[in-house]
Amino acid sequence: MKTAKQMVPLLLAIVALQVLFRFGVPYVWLDGFHWWPGIRNFWLPENQIDIVQQVSVNAILAFGMTLAILIGGIDLSVGALLALVGTTTVYLLGIGGQTQNPLWLAIAVLAGLAVAAAFGAFNGLCAAKTRMPPFIITLATMLIARGCALRYNQGRPMHIGDHETLFLGLGNGRLFGVVPIPVLVMLGLFLLTAVLLHRTRFGQYVYAMGGNRQAARFTGVPMVPVEILVYTICSLLTGIAGMIHTAQLYSAEPASGVGFELDAIAAAVVGGTSFTGGRGTMIGTLIGAVIIGVLNKGLNQAGVHYSYQYIVKGIVILIAVYLDVRRRR
Amino acid sequence: MTEATAAAAPLLKLHRVTKRFGGVTALDNVDFELRRGEIHALLGENGAGKSTLINVLGGIHAPDAGTIRIDARPAAVRGVADADRYGIRIIHQELSLAPNLSVAENIYLGREPGRLGLLNRRAIFARAKQLVASLGLDEIRDVRAPVRDLSVAHQQLVEIARALSCRARILVLDEPTSSLSEAETEALFATLRRLRSQGVGIIYISHRLEEIIRLADRITVLRDGRSIGTQPARCVDQHQLVRWMVGREIGDHFLRPPCNPGKTALEVRRLSNARVRDVSFSLRYGEILGIAGLVGAGRSELARALFGIDRIDAGEIRVDGKPVRITRPRHALDAGIVLVPEDRKLEGLVMSHSVSFNTALPWVADWIRACVPNYRRRREIVRRAISNFAVKLADPQQTVDSLSGGNQQKVLVGRWMEHRPKILILDEPTRGVDVGAREEMFSIISSLVSSGVAVLLISSDLSEVINVSHRIAVYRRGRILCIAPAESISPEAIMEQLTGAGENENC
Repeated sequence: MKTAKQMVPLLLAIVALQVLFRFGVPYVWLDGFHWWPGIRNFWLPENQIDIVQQVSVNAILAFGMTLAILIGGIDLSVGALLALVGTTTVYLLGIGGQTQNPLWLAIAVLAGLAVAAAFGAFNGLCAAKTRMPPFIITLATMLIARGCALRYNQGRPMHIGDHETLFLGLGNGRLFGVVPIPVLVMLGLFLLTAVLLHRTRFGQYVYAMGGNRQAARFTGVPMVPVEILVYTICSLLTGIAGMIHTAQLYSAEPASGVGFELDAIAAAVVGGTSFTGGRGTMIGTLIGAVIIGVLNKGLNQAGVHYSYQYIVKGIVILIAVYLDVRRRR
Repeated sequence: MTEATAAAAPLLKLHRVTKRFGGVTALDNVDFELRRGEIHALLGENGAGKSTLINVLGGIHAPDAGTIRIDARPAAVRGVADADRYGIRIIHQELSLAPNLSVAENIYLGREPGRLGLLNRRAIFARAKQLVASLGLDEIRDVRAPVRDLSVAHQQLVEIARALSCRARILVLDEPTSSLSEAETEALFATLRRLRSQGVGIIYISHRLEEIIRLADRITVLRDGRSIGTQPARCVDQHQLVRWMVGREIGDHFLRPPCNPGKTALEVRRLSNARVRDVSFSLRYGEILGIAGLVGAGRSELARALFGIDRIDAGEIRVDGKPVRITRPRHALDAGIVLVPEDRKLEGLVMSHSVSFNTALPWVADWIRACVPNYRRRREIVRRAISNFAVKLADPQQTVDSLSGGNQQKVLVGRWMEHRPKILILDEPTRGVDVGAREEMFSIISSLVSSGVAVLLISSDLSEVINVSHRIAVYRRGRILCIAPAESISPEAIMEQLTGAGENENC
């Protein structure tokens, strides 16, 4: 119930953005009052589906980021890891030959996820066992992952053969021709992580650890396994997002995913995840990701220069977090 | 009592100063006087009100009643800046230096000479050198050396230099020798005597009686927030001081549960680590073993080692006669050992979360099975803990930090009783709780003990330990000096052991 109440302002923000982009907004410029008329087809079903489709990669990353932030950590490596998983998978697919080969597909996907899990476990192990701050650990693994990704194909994009219909379908397919597969994957992962966070012992431990590390330790919370698990889950989600993103681009780009970690952090934070740890929900993060998605899409369609888009997004994050902090005090 | 007959007004005079924290009276009509060029020792048990008195002087706490006069003029010390202005300087037990800055930079930290925000390093070094020389602190040779390279003793001298660099007239030292060697202590005393001859008034706080008698001109004893009296140091001996510190009519409002100990629950043999030295004891079911010691004696470290927080280097722990290996709290909990830590806010509770969350956290395995939380069971766990321990709250969903200290403590203890532990370690269970909650806490403990729980009670409050425990272990610097039945040991004897006054005597 408490959570539901906290979601109201976030949902209102989505509604406000939707109305704003559809019907426009008055503004003042040097030469007087104006009316920006809005985007006529913003509310067309196809446009709305497009928004959720574009949200899905960021949302999946943000679910993992939420876990990391909840225990008082952070994972900066997700953007680079996303590129590394994409390149690794596509590289292995290429070895598989010129026809679709389910066995090779399975191997490629599993190898991609294994790389992700290895990075995550390493991040978690370092965070739990050494006194290095997660910010620095994941900053370093971000560079390492990026470097590894750039080793493939001399850093140039690797095209995915058209015969890989299954893999490409992961990014571009639609269920019944309507619901994009990435959105389905995102919703499935949302349910999974929400259950994990809100209905398991692990979830309770995550909240306890983020709320007060010392107290959690004195209560018998298994600190090391929980921390390793959090970062591993975060990286596995990144792996899945990486495959979707790669399929959407029809090619693996070693230089892709730059700054994705920041969008994921923004979604979690706008959704009410507290940066000091211990507070936040998965539904909040999902809504946060949608807010950022609507904002991105609207600004794009309105033809706002991308330089202004950055400025607007920055201001929105500041306002969202400021309101959240003030409400909690 | 020798009355001050000096013609000059005393440098500092506290008159009927009172300070309350909630229901606890920390200072009760305390009179205190400090003369120019005097070393005045302040003595008392833990919790007698020494720290509060210092904090009132330092402007950290405002007194609820009473007056402070400096040079016979009323002084309003309402903040740290005021204390500065009056020339009151406090050197706390934990030094507050910036380790990476040089000696000189530390001395003038916050008051750097310079222009337009630019540091004038040369001026700082020159001034510092001059100051150190004028104070006769010859031990500090290089004012350019970073403070982290200095020994603790020399760091202390830097603190003193910093204090005196802004014309401190009243210097307060809180347990300055607790981490100093003998030679360093002597050097510090020489410095203090020299400052005394320069007219500085020094308030000196220590538990080491021998030291105090040697150094101080006068001694004031505090007990339970009241001033017991002031005496010239040359008229008293250690045994007398101990009697004053402890000598209260031991209240009988704490009830010691009847002693009918059962089998041995916990046996510790030659336990050692960095802070615990060769500790052995045994504890029976239905028994309270009190650990009496001063703050910083390493008692909490013993508790932490037993609970798997700190590493154990050597020794053996047996529960029910079977050896157990404890390297993390989970192992201790599985063996039936529960620790209620000293610092509720830091180590005990997730303050920003609800009472429910905190109470149900240790028992997640009971109410979440295979991703299916049983909220009814959770509610019951929480309800039982709250009602059995009479926690006063409006709603189990309210956050812990909205509760009073006593109620927080009840939550902290109560949540472990869902499955009764075999061995309960309580580290300072009554710190910061008022008198009422304190008595409640002890009636809870005594009912637990009657039902067979073995309790290890750590407390700095001597009368508390003696009244509640069946046996007492006297603990000093990581060691158990002796263990004796509580009836046969007097508070004076314990205090002598703790302060080292009774060195080489057995109890």
